[in-house]
Amino acid sequence: MIEKIGCEQCNDSLLLFIDNEIEDSAIFGGIAVHLQECPGCREIMEYERYAANLIKDLLGRSCRESAPSSLQERIAETLRALEQEELGYSQTEIITQYRRTEIIIDGERQIEIETSHEIRRDFPF
Amino acid sequence: MALTLVAMPTEISTSDSSNTGELVRVDRNKETAQERSKRFEADALQYMNQLYSAALRYTRNPEDAQDLVQDTYAKAYTSFHQFEPGTNLRAWLYRVLTTTFINTYRKDQRRPQKSDSELEDWQIANAASHTSDQGKSTEDVVLENLPDSDIKRALAEIPEEFRIAVYLADVEGFSYKEIAEIVGAPAGTVMSRLHRGRKQLREKLSEYARELGYVQGGAK
Repeated sequence: MIEKIGCEQCNDSLLLFIDNEIEDSAIFGGIAVHLQECPGCREIMEYERYAANLIKDLLGRSCRESAPSSLQERIAETLRALEQEELGYSQTEIITQYRRTEIIIDGERQIEIETSHEIRRDFPF
Repeated sequence: MALTLVAMPTEISTSDSSNTGELVRVDRNKETAQERSKRFEADALQYMNQLYSAALRYTRNPEDAQDLVQDTYAKAYTSFHQFEPGTNLRAWLYRVLTTTFINTYRKDQRRPQKSDSELEDWQIANAASHTSDQGKSTEDVVLENLPDSDIKRALAEIPEEFRIAVYLADVEGFSYKEIAEIVGAPAGTVMSRLHRGRKQLREKLSEYARELGYVQGGAK
C-alpha cells in the first residue's frame, strides 16, 4: 500500500525522509513516488540531502579526538580501585611492636620484652 | 565458574557489528564480579576515544571532558550489571555520559543555557523555513574548506540541547529513537532540537565562511 502524497506533505516530511526516520512504509513509499514524479520536490530533497551530508562530513572530520594517555591511566586506576572494592580486596597491614623494658635495682638487672601485633585493614566503603 | 557464552540467535540489532563483545549472550546470574569486571574492560574501554570526543564537544574544555569521561566509566562500571548483554553497549555508554553531563557538569556552568521555550520566535520560524534557500550555492562548496577549529567553534556556539542532539545524530549516527533514550526526552523533542540545531550550525558556518572571505557578499 502506498499513500498518495502531495508537495506540501512531501515538504513537511522531507527531513525525516532524508534521515530515514519514516516508519510508516505507506508514507515512505508515497514520498518516494512523489519525488520521482515531481522535479521541484526532487530538487529540494537533493539539496537538503546534500546539505545534511555536508554537515555530517564536516562534523565527522573535525570531531575525532584521542583520549590522552593520562586519561587512560586515570580510568584504569579508577576501575582497579572499584574492582578491588567490589571484590572485597583490601589493604591489610600487620604492625608488630616490640617493647623492651630494662630495670636495674641495686645492681640487679631485669629485662622484659613485650610483643604486640596489630592488624590494620582498609574497609571497603 | 565458567562464563556462559551462547551465540545470539536472531535478534542482533546492533548498529555497530564491529563490537564482537555484544554478539554473545552472558548469563548475568552465573557471572562472578570478577568475570563481569573483565567483560566490562573487554567491551567498554574501546569506546574511550569516542566518548572523549563527545565529552569535549559537550563540556567545551579538555579538563572537564576528562573528568566527565572518568566519571562515566566509573558509573558505567558500577551499574554494568544493569546493562543487558546483546543490546547496544555504545548507546548505553552514551546514555551514561550524557546523563552524567546533564546532572553534574551543566550545573557548574555559570553561563545560563537557553531551553527550547526560551528560543526566539524568529529562530523557530527560521528552522521551519528550511526549504526557502534552495539550490547548491558556492557557499556550500566553500564550507568544505573551513578549518576544523571553525566547525568546533560553530558547534560550541549553538545551544547545548541542540548541540547534543546534532552530535549524537550526525557524528555518532544514532537514530531519533536512540537519541531519545540517551538524552531522556521524547523523540519529537529530539527531532525538533536536531533540525533546529543543524539549521543554526549551518548558519554559523556560512557566517564564518563569509568572515574568512570565502564567499563574496552576503550569499544566503
